[in-house]
Amino acid sequence: MRLSSVLCKVADLTKQYSNLPESYIKRAMEQVYWRTPKGRQYLKREVKRKKYYFGIHRPWTTEFQMENERGTMRKKVFVEPICDWSFFKGDRVEVLVGQDKGKQGIICQVFQERNWVIVEGLNCELKLIGKNKDFPGIYIKSEKPLLVTNEVALVDPSDLKSSPIEWRYTEAGQKVRVSVRTGRIIPIPRAAEETYDYKTKASYIESEKDTKASEVTAITFEPALKTFEMDIMEQMGIKEDRVPGKTYWY
Amino acid sequence: MEFFDDKKNWGQSEVKVGRSWKPDELRIKKRALNYKVGGLVTCGNLKLRDRFPVLLYYKFAVKQFDFTISTEAISVILLVTLLFMFMFVRFVLLKERNMLLTMEHECKEQAELFPNPERIDKVEESMNNLETVVRERNEAYFKLETGQTGERPVCMRKGAVGLMYKHRMAEHTIPRSMNKKWQQNYKSYGHTRDARQFLKLYREKLFLEKRRARNRERNHVMGLMKRFPNLDLEAVKQQFPSVDIEKIRYHKKTRGHHENIC
Repeated sequence: MRLSSVLCKVADLTKQYSNLPESYIKRAMEQVYWRTPKGRQYLKREVKRKKYYFGIHRPWTTEFQMENERGTMRKKVFVEPICDWSFFKGDRVEVLVGQDKGKQGIICQVFQERNWVIVEGLNCELKLIGKNKDFPGIYIKSEKPLLVTNEVALVDPSDLKSSPIEWRYTEAGQKVRVSVRTGRIIPIPRAAEETYDYKTKASYIESEKDTKASEVTAITFEPALKTFEMDIMEQMGIKEDRVPGKTYWY
Repeated sequence: MEFFDDKKNWGQSEVKVGRSWKPDELRIKKRALNYKVGGLVTCGNLKLRDRFPVLLYYKFAVKQFDFTISTEAISVILLVTLLFMFMFVRFVLLKERNMLLTMEHECKEQAELFPNPERIDKVEESMNNLETVVRERNEAYFKLETGQTGERPVCMRKGAVGLMYKHRMAEHTIPRSMNKKWQQNYKSYGHTRDARQFLKLYREKLFLEKRRARNRERNHVMGLMKRFPNLDLEAVKQQFPSVDIEKIRYHKKTRGHHENIC
């Protein structure tokens, strides 16, 4: 397995949040500089960007493209591998480092490619924007990302104190997060299923071209001993009784 | 045929549609004939061949006859429609795809933004899923009736320079031994000295690439171990199965500044 294929993959949570088809994400982020023309005489070859820098911009956005502009080289980023991802949007976490150490907040963004989360209103920085000799500039406050491995900890809902967690199975076979200190289940928040298009699946507003959910789930399949083509022929009244001659496959 | 989108969607910055059809949803359907596209569809290789003749004819007709479609254009459109209709289930999706590709093309010509280009991908994805379900059903029929899949057979063949490749077999009216032209076209030189020499070098190249990738991966894991003293080794094993962690654990390169392992 190529290392670049591991490092330059768009993470599952990002895909889920985008609610976009995988092929579109691939198409939107890829930068092909040169490709052999179509035709049998050409071997399929392309020159394209292999290493992408993942920051706080989503891969299908223009900002991401600008961050990965042609000719930009960035220092290699080492991302610690994690077995089970346990931080989701809407989780209450405690910040363990920085000026907001000890404070609790809600996760509002997850960047799985970098092991980052952004906690709402905590770990902020002030940026001075637009300063010149006539204008003093404006300070803009924005959150900095935090590493999930050692900079935040999940909060146990029973006593609102941070605790290390473990993934365990309930008797029903469901995989849940459990606080190691109290043994209490930490439920995955509703906000985790939020995507770019809707807050929850139930609250999605169907558009004009959408098939109604009841129509999608209706079972109309009837087993019949015929192929698709035979079915169509029958429906259109096409009869075929010629016997094909002997042929050879090679 | 509606080649252009609804007028109210023109110039919009966002046109929202649902997701594509999943194979499991299509499996419970008799025929997807009467379904709307919503929950829609999507993706990838845009086959220009599929749409351009129709589109061009349509445009030509519109320009020539002052916004009324000529009979010629209608007949062409109908013909194409009928061809599509034969693959009934794909019809709604094809119509939608035609519309999307036309709109994309038109937006490009008018230098406007084409809203939600992922709709094309959604349509393509649905079409692919539809195809897999139709094939699945056909395969079930053929396996029951003939014991074979009914798909076009494939075999491994030695190519002209001795490399193996997947050969998609074709149907012929005469056997292979009589087909001189086929024999000439598919002649193999794999047994010659030149081919052997080529294969030797080719395999060496493959081996070197593989070794380089393996070393790169190992060095990367070393870098991880150096930077993260509390690294989850189980996760590393999962993500980099080719790396022998026990072997590199006490290597000089994995020792960071954080502790002194002796």
